[in-house]
Amino acid sequence: MAETNKEPGILSQLFRIFFSKHWPVWVGGIVLGALNVFLFAIKSPWGASGGFNVWGENVYKMVGMFGLDGTKPLSLSFYGMLCIFLVLGSFIAALLSKEFAFRIPPKGELIKGFIGGGLMALGATFGLGCSIGSFFSGLPALSGGAIIFTLGLFFGTIVALKYLLWEMEKFPSFSSGKSYTFLAASAKKGGWQRYLGWIVLIITFIVAYRYSGDNKIMAWFIIIGMLMGLISQRSRFCIVKGFRDPFMTGESDGSVGVMAGLLMGIFGFTIIKYFGIGIGDVGVRAREMTWVFPHFFLRAGIGGFVFGVGMTVAGGCAVGTLWRVGEGQVKLWASALGFLLISPISKLYIVKPLVEIIPQNLRFKSFLPDYIGYPGAFTLMIFIILIWYVFVKWNEKTGKFSAY
Amino acid sequence: METKIDQTLDCKGLSCPMPMLKLAKAAKGLSSGQVIEMLGTDPGSKSDVPKWCDKTGNVLLSKEDMDGGVFRFVIQKK
Repeated sequence: MAETNKEPGILSQLFRIFFSKHWPVWVGGIVLGALNVFLFAIKSPWGASGGFNVWGENVYKMVGMFGLDGTKPLSLSFYGMLCIFLVLGSFIAALLSKEFAFRIPPKGELIKGFIGGGLMALGATFGLGCSIGSFFSGLPALSGGAIIFTLGLFFGTIVALKYLLWEMEKFPSFSSGKSYTFLAASAKKGGWQRYLGWIVLIITFIVAYRYSGDNKIMAWFIIIGMLMGLISQRSRFCIVKGFRDPFMTGESDGSVGVMAGLLMGIFGFTIIKYFGIGIGDVGVRAREMTWVFPHFFLRAGIGGFVFGVGMTVAGGCAVGTLWRVGEGQVKLWASALGFLLISPISKLYIVKPLVEIIPQNLRFKSFLPDYIGYPGAFTLMIFIILIWYVFVKWNEKTGKFSAY
Repeated sequence: METKIDQTLDCKGLSCPMPMLKLAKAAKGLSSGQVIEMLGTDPGSKSDVPKWCDKTGNVLLSKEDMDGGVFRFVIQKK
């Protein structure tokens, strides 16, 4: 593109708003929160670990392992497709902003990615839910288990951050060494990225259109998944960052972004549940119990902790992994691979026997309005976010809990 | 005028949070006025590094996109 003095046209200014600078994280948070409410209005809220699991089951089915022949094909799984188009949405965003490149890290980082992904799979299958299902959607769903899962995530993050700091001190060679970058663009080079970005965007809409005849829900899952990836990439929305950065550099922007999305979700979800919107033929009670999982409180606590360790070691939670895959960060490819390969194995062979040991009253569905009513549950969630907000802002000023 | 670089930090290929962790650690070891150059490929660094400089009071002397998708930041310790 040649430098001219001419002011760019209206459409190219619009393009720049989206694809020139990164968006503030809180803007991304609000839009993601709104899309999450849309998903719930259409069918059920956002989730990511289920998508990974479907990917993994389809891989094992293809190679004929673990007797998973009855697995639903990927093309018919809402959450499997949501995750695929989340990756593609981020791919589109990275291309249109010329930020795509294959970034291959040193070996140690690849190993950490895989292990982090595997831990996330263990945490998600044991704890029933991930950073999305039992946190970003779980808290708005007014689930008591989600509060416990969230506490688990916090402690897991802190422990894993301690590990990262220790590793950097004692074994700096683990995260350094030969790295490679391919296909990167620059201001003058790499115009192909823009063209390819538009092509993939158009393909997404064609695929959604082809489903729109007899599977309208899927058509919208595809479009919303793509938008979620695109927005996450542009705003660098990252749940790990929200949990971790106050304890690392003291930065609070990432946390505030997550809170913005949660607030949006809490309003939307509460309204949908309270008024029984979109009941279809399932009944009010089933609608209310959507995304309230039988994990209160032991399963949620342990699962959240393991997931928190995993996401911090990997450097991306379930969604952070997906959108970084789309932008070409190969460490997160390793993490996605660990997640999808371990998830079905964990579900089949590890979680089942373990869960049977846990008594029923330590793994039940806790829907907060059953105990404190809708006003109480709604207020409690807002209050939790307010406390978290005060903590990260206070900590940002004082650096009390920050490593640096 | 070419700034004298006291230390170079290679974070190429690394994903968040490793570049910021390494930068924060390296900055701790510098004395006031010294200059560190950081090379990275994580697009996140483009917003993380300036924000971190703002917060810590270290001065971001320059920020440029180099060939091969590498970003270069030159930072002076407060």
